[in-house]
Amino acid sequence: MIKPERSRNYQNRIQDALLKPNLQETLGKFADAYVLAREAAFAGQDFEALRDSIAEIKDEVRNNLPKYLEEFTTNAEAAGAKVFLAKTAEDANRYILDLARARGVKKIVKSKSMASEETHLNRALIEAGVDVLETDLGEWIVQLAGERPSHMVLPAIHMVKEEVAELFSKATGRTESAEIPHLVRVAREQLRQAYLDADLGITGANAAIAETGGLALVTNEGNARLTSTLPKIHVALVGIEKLVPTLEDAHNIINVLPKNATGQLITSYISWIRGAVPCGDAAKELHIVLLDNGRSALAESAVCRDALRCIKCGACANVCPVYQIVGGHVFGHVYISAIGIILTAFFHGLDNAAELVKACIGCRACVAVCPSKIDLESIILHLREVLGEEEGIGTGKSLVFKKIMRNRKLFHGMLRAASLLQKPVTRGERSIRHLPLFFSGLTEWRTLPAIADKPLRDLWNTLPQKLEKPRYRVAFFAGCLNDFVYPELGQDLVKVLNHMNVDVSFPLEQNCCGVPALYSGDRETATALAKQNIDAMLQSAPDFVITTCPTCTMSLQRDFLDLLKENPEWTSKAQQLSAITMDISRFIVDELDGSSAFAGVADLSSVTYHDSCHLKRGAGVWQQPRELLERSGHTLAEMAHSDRCCGFGGSYSFTGHPEIARRILADKIRDIETSQADCVAMDCPGCLMQIKGGLEKQEKPIRAAHTIELLAEALRKTKFED
Amino acid sequence: MDDFIAALTKVNGCCEQVADIGAAAAYIARHSDGPLLLPPQPSLLRIGLREELVRAGLPVIDNDWRAQAPTADSGITGANFAIAATGSIVLDSTQEAVRLASTLPERHFVLLDPAKILPEATDGIPIVRRIHQETPQTYLAYITGPSRTADIERVLTIGVHGPAELHILLLPGLSDDPMES
Ligand code: SF4
Ligand code: SF4
Repeated sequence: MIKPERSRNYQNRIQDALLKPNLQETLGKFADAYVLAREAAFAGQDFEALRDSIAEIKDEVRNNLPKYLEEFTTNAEAAGAKVFLAKTAEDANRYILDLARARGVKKIVKSKSMASEETHLNRALIEAGVDVLETDLGEWIVQLAGERPSHMVLPAIHMVKEEVAELFSKATGRTESAEIPHLVRVAREQLRQAYLDADLGITGANAAIAETGGLALVTNEGNARLTSTLPKIHVALVGIEKLVPTLEDAHNIINVLPKNATGQLITSYISWIRGAVPCGDAAKELHIVLLDNGRSALAESAVCRDALRCIKCGACANVCPVYQIVGGHVFGHVYISAIGIILTAFFHGLDNAAELVKACIGCRACVAVCPSKIDLESIILHLREVLGEEEGIGTGKSLVFKKIMRNRKLFHGMLRAASLLQKPVTRGERSIRHLPLFFSGLTEWRTLPAIADKPLRDLWNTLPQKLEKPRYRVAFFAGCLNDFVYPELGQDLVKVLNHMNVDVSFPLEQNCCGVPALYSGDRETATALAKQNIDAMLQSAPDFVITTCPTCTMSLQRDFLDLLKENPEWTSKAQQLSAITMDISRFIVDELDGSSAFAGVADLSSVTYHDSCHLKRGAGVWQQPRELLERSGHTLAEMAHSDRCCGFGGSYSFTGHPEIARRILADKIRDIETSQADCVAMDCPGCLMQIKGGLEKQEKPIRAAHTIELLAEALRKTKFED
Repeated sequence: MDDFIAALTKVNGCCEQVADIGAAAAYIARHSDGPLLLPPQPSLLRIGLREELVRAGLPVIDNDWRAQAPTADSGITGANFAIAATGSIVLDSTQEAVRLASTLPERHFVLLDPAKILPEATDGIPIVRRIHQETPQTYLAYITGPSRTADIERVLTIGVHGPAELHILLLPGLSDDPMES
């Protein structure tokens, strides 16, 4: 599809999803219940160790695929199964179709198989005149509705019972009441005869075990057991990434899968099936179709290959703020959410993944819960770069990045000019409440801060620092928001660090950290900016480089290294910078042991804390700011979902997906309000802009502030007044 | 054994300790409501469960499985071993009759010797491996509670396609051999 049309289509689908009643409520309720259940299921277990072991098993197979394929095939065939390796989706479908024709198959029952969704097997069979019935309750519901699953584990999670009752009534020709136990009963009765009548049963598998040549299948309903028992022919369609070396490996995966999928300790049934087991008077005919369909290509991609570790637990959807707003029909193709973006790119083509790639806000919630230790967000970012190179990132953006941002003086000059130009809309205030004409959508649901009269860089020399023997000399990397929108935050930082006898400098050659360019797919500009910033920040050989913005922190710590990895000279400089870069809270607590230096300076007001995505899941910092706030005298009133994204995501909330960002923010504001705190603290100017904007627009009497702002303010009010 | 019972109860399974075969038959009589599928399980044959059930006046089916399974009310099997941590029983279901008895009917009764309860799932893997080594074709089932779904509005509902009731009868002295059920 050509790009503008594709984008327009996608935006329309987002709008439709936003209008769908119940969807956000249903998904939100599930997300809340899921987090608690998952926590209970893993209680007392070392999740990090478990996911290390899954990653290790999967990598072992990926690195030695031919060996395990052969071992599996030999053992499976020795037990009487037929194994077919399908290169493409068409090959797999053709094999199954030919088999069905050769055996005169009229009716097929299926238990849940994502691989068959991937190959569009049902369509192929139905076109050939074979009856295909999905037997998993959720799958049957979506089949009746003529839809595709919106979640890998819970296919019909987007529907309410009334919709299900309507579908079932059509299927039975009676009026079925919308009582869930009744609907489940109807499914039992309706599908029972189908198992008995079917000539062939199709299942997937959760593991294919090389050691035994057997399959492991995990279900709750018992439909896979019936599907693999009653019909005379059993076809298992299995992605080659499901191979594992031993029974222990299969056990490790099956142990984690239900816990991470729904918070269930173990599913009702785990079936270990090997070979041509007895069936009536004869032996069953078992065909195992191993599906490649892009998996080998994925294994070749050094950046993306970890995606092959996926065990299809669906957790990356459960915690994703974008999924929670629009659901899997919009945030997915066949496979959904974070992993869906990646698999779609490889299995169904980059074109089908293009819009999804842009819909990710980059909050890394998925990375934190993935049991296979896949850095989903980094892979998505990479795909965005590939897409940027293939399709371009749009002329306007490209011009800004290439021509303006790379030239620091020009870029900063334009920001200064913007501060003057905005005068008519700000009316001298610090917040923009309304924007004219077609920009108005952006201030409908949050105010936006004005660009400051004077950026921090122009104010720096007016900040007196009189330390005789400073403990450390640190350089401050401000980032655009801190420099041009919240310059007072820089003043606060100086105040706080001076209080602990640390001298702060501001290297004037620093430029944008490059994240906006990188996240839009312009790697070239991001690389140019990385070089400028490395030189600027290392020039005075500071002890540390301190940030107040966690996105900048990640950029300096992680992205620069990646951007410059091909160049040894720059790599070593990037490593140097990465090693000394730290966000302010961690610096104060971990390096200066500073929480005691602020003991009791603040009043007793109650504060709730919002975890910025990049601070908690990027830099691993969440304890430190809380410690600072509490030690300084605030009472901490934790909000629900404190580490859920606020919906900012840089340009995401402006030009990318403002409507999704708006809903995510609304949830955040509700959680803040419910905490009953007077103030919400955070450690990110981006979140500050988003949350402050939302609170102001809704006229909530709750203050939003950076942790450093609160500390500096407390110092000013106490005996440390200078 | 206490851990096993607690875990099984959590997943909506029923557990009853029975003193002897007569008590087991009486329990089954109380909780079933129609024909009983009784596949030839070595441990159950040895103790003469079939005769006991017949004596209690229960309709037992022990042949022509495929034809009779769809109308049976209950299935009765033994178990190879069980896992305390999760409340699971592990059943070699390679024989088709065992599979039919444990998948199609409304109720599934399992007679288990408490001596076969292992503490953790990992303890069972060597047995699973041995079963694979000794039988060329294998269909092995871990069964944890009755059949369930949460596919409509995430509401847990018991008894979709598999048995809606799972009764585990703990009968000491039945068999402590994990290679037989
Ligand atoms: S990074 Fe956040 S928005 Fe992107 S896919 Fe992961 S959870 Fe969803
Ligand atoms: S990517 Fe990770 S979290 Fe997502 S489905 Fe796969 S294993 Fe689960």
